[in-house]
Amino acid sequence: MVVFHFLDWFWLVIFIVFMVICGVLFYRLGKRSLSDFFLAGRGLPWWLPAASVYATHSATDTPMWISGVIYKYGMRGIWYTFFSAWCAISAFASTRIFRRSLAYTQAEWQTLRFSGLGAELLRGWIAGWQVFMNMFILGWVGIAMGKLCLYLFGWPEWVGLILFSSLCAIYVLAAGYWGVIMADFQQGVIAFAVIVLVSIWGIIAAGGPHAITAKLEALGEGWRLNPFAFSGVTTGEFPLVWFLTMLVIAVIGGFGMGTAIDWYPEAQRIQSAKTVRDASYSIWAGSALIVVRNSLWAVAILAFFSMYPKIQATAEYEMAWYRLGFEYLPVGLVGFFFAAIVAIHLSTVSTHLNLGASYATRDLYQHYIKPKAGEKELIWVGRISTLILLLGSFIYGLMMQEITQWLIFALWIMAAGIWLPSILQVVWWRFNAWGYLSSWIANLGLSWLVVWVLPEFHLIPDLPDYLQFWIMMALGAAIYIPITFLTKPEDMDRLVRYYAMSRPLGWWKPVREEAQRRGLIAGEEAR
Amino acid sequence: MKGIQTKWTAEEAEQWTKEDYLTFVLSPLIYFLLALGVALSLLLLWYGWVILAVSLLLLWLMIRIIDPKLKAISREYEKKQAFYLEEMEKISRWEE
Repeated sequence: MVVFHFLDWFWLVIFIVFMVICGVLFYRLGKRSLSDFFLAGRGLPWWLPAASVYATHSATDTPMWISGVIYKYGMRGIWYTFFSAWCAISAFASTRIFRRSLAYTQAEWQTLRFSGLGAELLRGWIAGWQVFMNMFILGWVGIAMGKLCLYLFGWPEWVGLILFSSLCAIYVLAAGYWGVIMADFQQGVIAFAVIVLVSIWGIIAAGGPHAITAKLEALGEGWRLNPFAFSGVTTGEFPLVWFLTMLVIAVIGGFGMGTAIDWYPEAQRIQSAKTVRDASYSIWAGSALIVVRNSLWAVAILAFFSMYPKIQATAEYEMAWYRLGFEYLPVGLVGFFFAAIVAIHLSTVSTHLNLGASYATRDLYQHYIKPKAGEKELIWVGRISTLILLLGSFIYGLMMQEITQWLIFALWIMAAGIWLPSILQVVWWRFNAWGYLSSWIANLGLSWLVVWVLPEFHLIPDLPDYLQFWIMMALGAAIYIPITFLTKPEDMDRLVRYYAMSRPLGWWKPVREEAQRRGLIAGEEAR
Repeated sequence: MKGIQTKWTAEEAEQWTKEDYLTFVLSPLIYFLLALGVALSLLLLWYGWVILAVSLLLLWLMIRIIDPKLKAISREYEKKQAFYLEEMEKISRWEE
C-alpha cells in the first residue's frame, strides 16, 4: 500500500475537480445538435483529436501490458506495441476516404458503401457489436483501475471501478463529445508529462543509461538491449516470422477500415476533424505520440529489470512502471502521479462511453427505431445510452475474471479473419456486403476450429499466433471470395455516389468510368 | 522539390498519385525509426540519436510532399460537404 500525504491528496482532488468542471463547461455546445454531442460539430483542428487519440489509447492497463512484454522479452517487446502503426498508412489512405464519407460511425459507413439488405444487416451487426465492445472495454479498464486502487489503498475492487467511471460520466453525460475531447486534451498533456517524468526518474533511479546497460551485460542479459534479438526464423518465443506478420498486419492494415479494434474510436476522431487534412494529421500525430510513449516505457522497464531481475510472477512484473512511480517519486509528486493515472483512466472511459452511445443512438435508435426523431430527442437518447453503458460496464467489470479468456478469444476473432475483408471493402469495388458479412460468419466458425477444437482433438498441433492468422485468412478467403462472385455486385447508383464523394483508392475502374459518364466527376481529358 | 508536385488543381488532387504512394512508404518508416530512435537515444547509444534524426528528417520530407495535396483536397471537399451531409441524412432516415 502507498501512503498519501496532504500534498498528494491536494493534487488528486484539484485535478479531479478541474477535469469534471472543464468537461461540464461545454454543456451548452454539447446539446446543440447530434453532430455536437457525438462529433463536436465536425469542427476541430487536428491537434485536439490527436491528443484524444493519444489519451484514449493510454489506459490504466496499458503500462501493465507494456511492462509485461518488455520485462519478459526485453527491448524486442516494443514490437508487440507496434500494432498502432496501422495509423501510419491509414492517416493518408482510409482516414481520408472515411472522412469524406461523413459517416457518424463505421456502421453507418456500411450503408453508404453497400446497399440493400446486406448493407442493413452489416450496419445492425456492427452497431450491436460496438455497443457490446465498448461496454466490455469500459468494464475491462474499470476493473484494472479497481485493482490498482486495491494495490494502492486497499480499497475493494468495486470502489475503484465505480468511483472513477462515475466521475467521468458526469461530463460525458453533460457535454457529450465536446466534454470528452476537451478533457482528453488536458488529460493527454498531463499524462504525457508524467510518463516522461516517471520514466526518466526510473532510469535515473537505476543509475542512468550507462549503468543499466552495464548491469544487463553483467547479468548476462545484454540481449535485452537489442530490439531485433529474434529467437530464430520460425522457432522460439520470438521468431522473425512473427515480427514480419505483425508488420504486415499493422502497416498494410492501414488501407482498410476495421482492421484494428482501435479503428472504431479513431473513426469518431476522424469525423470530428474540421477538414480532411486535419483528420489525416490528427490520426498520424496521435499515433506517433503513442509510438514515442511506448519507447519511453520500454527503457523505463529495462531500468526496472536491471534493479529487479528475478521476478517470476507475471502479475508482479506487470506492475513495474507503477512501482517506479510510487516507490521512487518524492512525497507530493506521488499524488501528482496518481492524478495522471486517473487522467489516463478517465480519457479512455469517456471515449468509450460516448462512442458506444453513438452507435446505440445513431445506428440503432435513429436508423432502425425512429428515423424521424428530432435532434433534442436524439441527444437525450445519447445520454440514456451513455448511462446504460456505464451501468453495464460495472456488471462486466465485476464478472471480468470469468469472461476474460472468452473475450480475448472474441478480440482475436475480430483481428484475424476479417483483416483482409476489411481492406477489400475499401479498395475493391466488386467486394459486396454479402462477401463482408460471410467473412464475419466464416471467421466465427473457423477461429473456434483452428484455435480450440482441432488442437483439442489432436487433429492439428497447437499453432503459434502468426500461423493461426495466415491459416484463418486463407480459409476465410476460400469462403467469402466465392460468395462475393456468386452474389450480385452492389447497386451501381450507390457505388457511383459513394465513389464521387469518397474517391477511394484501389480497383474501382468500372465505377469511376460510370461516374465520369454521368458527369459526377471529371473525365480523363479534364485532368 | 524536384519531381514533387506542389500546386494542385481540384481534380488533380482527387487522384491517387505518386505523392500519396511516397507517403505510404515514408509514414510507416518514420514510425519504425521513431520507435527505435527514442528508445536507443534514451539509452544514450549514439546510433539512437542518428536514427532519431533520420526519422525527423523524413517527417519533414513527408510533410513537404503531402501537405500541399491535402490542402487542395480539403479546400475542394469543403465546398461539397453540406450537400453530401444532406444526402447521408436521407439514407439514414430512409427517405430514399
